[in-house]
Amino acid sequence: MNPDETSFQRLLAAARRAPPSSDEAAPFGFSTRVAALAFEPRGRQAPVFGLYSLRAAAVAGLLAVAAVAANFTAIRGAFDEESAVAAGDDPIADVVDIGS
Amino acid sequence: MPDDQSFDLAGCLDRVRKRDQIAARELVEFLHPLVIRIVRAHLPRRVAEEDLAQEIFLKMFTRMDQYQGSVPFTHWVSRIAVTTCIDQLRAQKRRPELRMADLSETESDFLERGITNENDVAPDDALAAKEIVQKLMEMLKPEDRLVIQYLELEQKSIAEISALTGWNQTLVKVRAFRARRKLQRFYQELKENEPA
Repeated sequence: MNPDETSFQRLLAAARRAPPSSDEAAPFGFSTRVAALAFEPRGRQAPVFGLYSLRAAAVAGLLAVAAVAANFTAIRGAFDEESAVAAGDDPIADVVDIGS
Repeated sequence: MPDDQSFDLAGCLDRVRKRDQIAARELVEFLHPLVIRIVRAHLPRRVAEEDLAQEIFLKMFTRMDQYQGSVPFTHWVSRIAVTTCIDQLRAQKRRPELRMADLSETESDFLERGITNENDVAPDDALAAKEIVQKLMEMLKPEDRLVIQYLELEQKSIAEISALTGWNQTLVKVRAFRARRKLQRFYQELKENEPA
């Protein structure tokens, strides 16, 4: 075994001799807190609510897109009529008409 | 674990499945020494050991229905603890290098003196050696760190490590070999930077 390996082996051997941390018992109140959290009813309700909220948002988005697609021609027609009306409502043309 | 023989684990698990809070408290108290040893061995910097232990126990209760009894319950809990610790260690950056300046006075004194007889190590030297090894291990990947902890510091067998981690024995051997070589290289680099 080379000196580097020996030195490393000795370091590990010395580290193994260090005493383990003595206090391994659960701190006061720890088990009560963990047991209460584990059986907490809100823990189940919150994710279920979140899950359904996301699904509801996705369904609402799909319905909105479907509604726009189904009524696309009507919506476009409404805009065309509006622009035709707007073209007819030219205030300058009205003033020129009054002057003549 | 306290009173390993007298504790009715199977009975306690049955009661926990029926949502008995007293049984849940007893189970936490029974398993705490096992879990806290794993947590302390793999505790990332800036993470409170109690927080990590709590996370492990909550995972254990959440997954209780998945426990089929194919491995001892304590091994199953160990695996949850090990994977939780590894996830935490992954989230933290590895120590890029270890310099003499990063060591405490006791640790650098110990390193300069070296160990002449490994069978006659003073308690302070043993603690310094442990601290140095822990700091060197912070440069390893979480999985490598885990295998060094079990094999070199806790002297567990390959079969035991395999049971505790869920890794197959060949994987444990390969990881152990590579991790040990890396750790030795880091140690040599630290020693080479030692002031004359």
